[in-house]
Amino acid sequence: MKNRKSFLFLGLILAVALVFGVTTGATAGTIRIGVASPFTGDLASYGDNVKAGVNLKLKEINDAGGINGQKVEIVWGDDLCAPKEAGTVGSKFAADKTIVAVIGHLCSSATLAAMPIYVRAGLPTLSPTSTNPTIGDVGKGWFFRNCYTDDFQGKYLASNVVPKLLGKKKVAIFYENNDYAIGLKNSFVAGAKEGGITVTGAEAYVAKTTDFTPQLTKLLVNKPETIFLCGYHPEGALIAGQSRKLGFKGPLFGADGIDNIDYIKIGGKAANNTYCTVPFLAASAGPAGKKFAARFKKAFGRDVDWMSANAYDCMGILAQVIAKTGPDRKKIRDGLAAINSPAKGYKGITGLTYFDKKGNCSKPAFVKMVKNGKFVPAVKAK
Amino acid sequence: MRRNSWVPAPFHTYFGWALFLQQLINGLTIGGIYAMIAVGYTMIYGVIQLINFAHGEIYMLGAFFAVTFITLLGLPFYVAFFLSMACCAVCGVFLDILAYRPLRKSPRLAALITAIGMSIFLQNLAMIIWGSRAKPFPHDALPEYFEKTAVTFGGVHLSWFHLFIFGITIIMMIGLNLIIKKTKWGKAMRAVAQNQTMAALAGINVNRVISYTFALAGALGGAAGIMVGAYYNSLYPTMGYVAGVKAFAAAVLGGIGSVPGAMLGGVVLGVAEALGAGYLSSLYRDGISYAVMIIVIILIPAGLFGKVLKETKKSM
Repeated sequence: MKNRKSFLFLGLILAVALVFGVTTGATAGTIRIGVASPFTGDLASYGDNVKAGVNLKLKEINDAGGINGQKVEIVWGDDLCAPKEAGTVGSKFAADKTIVAVIGHLCSSATLAAMPIYVRAGLPTLSPTSTNPTIGDVGKGWFFRNCYTDDFQGKYLASNVVPKLLGKKKVAIFYENNDYAIGLKNSFVAGAKEGGITVTGAEAYVAKTTDFTPQLTKLLVNKPETIFLCGYHPEGALIAGQSRKLGFKGPLFGADGIDNIDYIKIGGKAANNTYCTVPFLAASAGPAGKKFAARFKKAFGRDVDWMSANAYDCMGILAQVIAKTGPDRKKIRDGLAAINSPAKGYKGITGLTYFDKKGNCSKPAFVKMVKNGKFVPAVKAK
Repeated sequence: MRRNSWVPAPFHTYFGWALFLQQLINGLTIGGIYAMIAVGYTMIYGVIQLINFAHGEIYMLGAFFAVTFITLLGLPFYVAFFLSMACCAVCGVFLDILAYRPLRKSPRLAALITAIGMSIFLQNLAMIIWGSRAKPFPHDALPEYFEKTAVTFGGVHLSWFHLFIFGITIIMMIGLNLIIKKTKWGKAMRAVAQNQTMAALAGINVNRVISYTFALAGALGGAAGIMVGAYYNSLYPTMGYVAGVKAFAAAVLGGIGSVPGAMLGGVVLGVAEALGAGYLSSLYRDGISYAVMIIVIILIPAGLFGKVLKETKKSM
């Protein structure tokens, strides 16, 4: 009799959970994490990468029984890499009290737009990819990232990649008019003086442009030896093609925004001889990273990229913190902030991650290049 | 002696002829394409006084049709080019029959809003069929000589592809002019543009003439889409929006309703854009082209080739 009663009770709970599950999308007893990236639009392939990395780790966690017995559930938010949409996604995440942490946003300008909302709501945010240096100030202690910042990346390009790897001295900068690219351009220019690099000209473009020939023509007048593709891959690929059409033969280079298989697909032959810095490179990674790269290829049928690797580690960091603190927004923030020294750092496939007071981390950069239509570890230009 | 006192100003490379010429070539390339789209706007406006905002989407469809024919059916570039133009012509006719014909007698605003609706519908349809990501144009399908430099002097590069675009643009513009000026259909189009009722009374099948206009506009827009897709090597479902707005600006600049005006307007806009980006600020490139349009409209309200309509005094 007692057995039957409890059975009925269980049934009732299940029914209620089902009803609520349908209305709010939440199932009782799961830990919900929001992931914000562009899943449609021009940069959808970036979002796919983040999704792939997060899903791989998610499966791992849930297959092992979840975090302290609670399964993890992801809520996807499509921000189209647009500040306006990022605000909408941010408000949705902030208002949904069952979401305890956010992975994202992908684009720096999207993160910058959503961050004040997360700060007000007290929602910890961990970005795998936003590299703009100023986000740490806007984040007011609620923002963390496991990638380097453009301060570092731009200077590294100017002091290392261009003079040493490419062996070039005269650079033309072609940058997109957004937070990411302007920050990157400024740090490159700052580093250029130290690296003995001359900037022969800097021109800007607006996202979604298809005709870059007027600006390129102007840039090529001063005979640069290499062009800095300071932006994302869809435009970068077109610039590569059009610069070749205008007779430019030197190497091209860019930062992490260029690292995407679509760069080669759209750029075609013109994409060859392009260098870019990335936070993760399977060929240069440790054994755990190599194992991950092999698993990734098996699961998704393509080579792993840095965004997937960083997203995978973001999920890992959050799982580790939540296991200690429990699913509570404030406690998770404190848990993330406590990862503040190499000794307390998280050992992931992208190396050791630990945060400073602004949530930034210091990590090395790796260099990739396009050779014969494929991304390979960079070799010194002849 | 003051023999050597006047020396031609040393044209620095920055302001040199080579740079100017190259920018002019860049501007003419994109300007010719704007012109081909603008002509579509202006012809349709001419016959039914409708600003067909879905015209940019026909241009986008042109590019996608061509790529689909090349990749799926393995057709050679030129065949795909003309087949895609034909498909765009059919799309234009369907657009008219499905969306605009039922509204022929309703207020103009209804048709205008329908046009915007069709634009959004076609964009999203393309996203469902081809996906929202940018696609490359199949490189191998393009004739090999396209990539080769046809003319090069003093740093000016003119590829065969440039010449192909110029050639197609000029041939199509001349062809269109001949159709409008010399053929019976062209005469019918002009008659419908002047007065639909009178044209109908004279025995012209007005609806058929309008369909014919949509077909012509669609074919030209489609051709422009293919050339842009192939030249810039990228196509995406929202590509018609910006091109459509620019071409609309070009049509207004030339005087909406005037075919030669739209041609000239497109070229002027393209060149203004290239020179503006090259010599002024690249950030305000689009702003510069629109500024040119606004200035022309302020100075010549009817546009470059527009008809000046006399103000009729209202009798009190």
